[in-house]
Amino acid sequence: MSRVLVAMSGGVDSSVAAALLVEAGHEVVGVTMKTFCYGEVPGHGKTCCGLDGIADAQRVAAALGIPHFVFDVEEEFTRDVIDDFVSEYGQGRTPNPCVRCNSNTKFRDLMARGRALGCDRIASGHYVRIEHRRGESALLRGRDERKDQAYFLWGLPPQLLPSLLFPLGDLTKPEVRSRARALRLTTADKPESQEICFVPTGDYRDLLERRLGPVHPALEPGLLVDRQGNVLGRHSGYAGFTVGQRKGLGGGFPEAMFVLEIRPESRDVVVGTREETLSNYVEVGHLNWLAQPPPDGSSVHVQLRHRARPVPATMAVTGDTLGLTLQTRTAAVTPGQSAVVFDGERVLGGGLIAAARSQAASA
Amino acid sequence: MSLIYLDHAATTPLREEVGAAMAPYLEGVFGNPSSQHRWGREAAEALASARARCAEQLGADPSETYFTRGGTESDNLAILGFVARLRGDGLTPTLVISAVEHHAVLDAARHVTAREAGRLVILPVAPDGSLDTAPLERALAEGPTLTSLMWVNNETGMVMPVPEVAARTSAAGATLHSDAVQAAGKVPIRMDEVAVDLLTLAGHKIYGPKGTGLLYVRGGTHLSPLLHGGGQERSLRPGTEDVAGAVGFATALELAVTERTVEAPRLQALREALEGHLIGSVPGLRIHGEKAPRAPHITSVGIPDLDGQALRAALDLEGIATSGGSACSSGGSSTSHVIAALYGEDDSHAVVRFSVGRSTTEEDIVRAATVTAATVARIRAAGGA
Repeated sequence: MSRVLVAMSGGVDSSVAAALLVEAGHEVVGVTMKTFCYGEVPGHGKTCCGLDGIADAQRVAAALGIPHFVFDVEEEFTRDVIDDFVSEYGQGRTPNPCVRCNSNTKFRDLMARGRALGCDRIASGHYVRIEHRRGESALLRGRDERKDQAYFLWGLPPQLLPSLLFPLGDLTKPEVRSRARALRLTTADKPESQEICFVPTGDYRDLLERRLGPVHPALEPGLLVDRQGNVLGRHSGYAGFTVGQRKGLGGGFPEAMFVLEIRPESRDVVVGTREETLSNYVEVGHLNWLAQPPPDGSSVHVQLRHRARPVPATMAVTGDTLGLTLQTRTAAVTPGQSAVVFDGERVLGGGLIAAARSQAASA
Repeated sequence: MSLIYLDHAATTPLREEVGAAMAPYLEGVFGNPSSQHRWGREAAEALASARARCAEQLGADPSETYFTRGGTESDNLAILGFVARLRGDGLTPTLVISAVEHHAVLDAARHVTAREAGRLVILPVAPDGSLDTAPLERALAEGPTLTSLMWVNNETGMVMPVPEVAARTSAAGATLHSDAVQAAGKVPIRMDEVAVDLLTLAGHKIYGPKGTGLLYVRGGTHLSPLLHGGGQERSLRPGTEDVAGAVGFATALELAVTERTVEAPRLQALREALEGHLIGSVPGLRIHGEKAPRAPHITSVGIPDLDGQALRAALDLEGIATSGGSACSSGGSSTSHVIAALYGEDDSHAVVRFSVGRSTTEEDIVRAATVTAATVARIRAAGGA
């Protein structure tokens, strides 16, 4: 068996992933990435990536009898993930930092460290499957529909796929927890971490104020307008909004209103009815393919949000942009979020949503 | 796979003789030295004897010798205790420290300045070990000062010019502290020969028990305590004494000091052999503080354009213990302030500190050098990491 590096956050999932690899007879090396300065974050230690997470990962590694190392990637993480998160909100988009981290930081850095440590495989506790056959590696959804994390992994560098292992891909979360309990891992009953690891409170405005400075346009008051340009109200900074959002718009409208668009140049937040949030054409940039891209005109399924049901779509690539014509009109397609292209269970690739609109059915 | 421990600057194993000396006080003799009965008297005598033995090894008086619970505590007590004493007299001191001090000194000094209880002056150190003392001279001329200069730098092994600085501070009537945690048993330390006023030692660096330390306080130097309680250690460090720890510490210090003339040259030969092998087999390798006077047991090397964390982890998987400079509580570590002070902030060398000790053999050195060279070559071949 080969030497495998497993990324251990200190949570239950990566703990069990490590345990399964040990059971399978691999020589396993545990690694925890120290991603940011925990001292700056109020309530730190509560999420899986906090210093408590490092200590938990160390205890699990000791229980499994495997070596464990902490690698400080704070500089890279800040540059590649936190700075991007802040800059995206500054430009009126809604970023997904977990996608960014998986694409740019986590696996790339793990692979480099892994090679240094003589590991030929990299494993993590993500709920996805990978099939290596006939010289091709296919990334597939996890068996547990409720935990599936394929949406977050479209940005993996494709050349890394042959080296990846996802030991939890065929398990459900309850199965993972019962494995952890059976192994008496200290992390067996740790709560889920739902929030973004570097915003453990869920309130990212503090972080934006610290990093953008208090006088950035994204944090300045602006107008709530409708598609016709009528002023409907005021807001206290467009960074607080995401397309499709209903909360925080104030009341007094004849029907429920939603954010349709954020216009950083004028600081306007455009709002409208539910009907107006629907779109059937999506432009996707920053493309990354994990399989041979299907030819133009192919029918695929595209997932436009975490946990959203995939929508049938027809694709066409023009230069660096993927155009997706959706079969059904879809609510709140949000710039900055990921559009992930599937063939059934398999991730073909994806990109970041640049724009969405509604257009005539024949287009 | 044979295991090779080359991290003696981080900590050392307890010596058999030390464990044997401590055993009666862990197993049978349990009295409180402050108690006024035979149990107490027995413990008090053990403590007094340990103190006298430490004082003798340092050329000090027992009344100048205080047991603490470690090096960090001694450093903090020296700095914070001195500042608190001066503040009580309405004075605000200037703290003068070198750029390569241990965090126990650096962070204690920053703690003082963050509360505006003193000013901080940092003396630059060159890679040849020379200290820029011009800022010290200015501070001495201006008002009350506390200077803190470590005897042996823990990350590079550089020996700092403590006797020279001591001559300056004592001539100016100023106070000098020295963290000698890495110096004990490696270079001569005599309080009757060098005008240091406050001196820090730690037991676990000299094959003594962890959680033991000593602060030497020259007669006439006054500190305020950081803790308040039962008046032990002449009220400077109250709390029921760790008799077994004191006995272990004294035994370890005695052994370290008396064996120094034999052990130090042996360690130095091992270190030099390691450096020779590494220079010959790792392209671009640099020895930190190569031109500086250095203690026998530590060598810190820089390897260009390589990830030090990955290299040290890879060496661990080969059974070889090293460190990145100082052992950091959270595991990871960014560029060390010591290497940055010597070689600049954006230095991209991987740092590996090897520190030899009593158990180290010539075979260990050959294997450590061979494995290090092979590992560096493998990481380079895999794309630099």
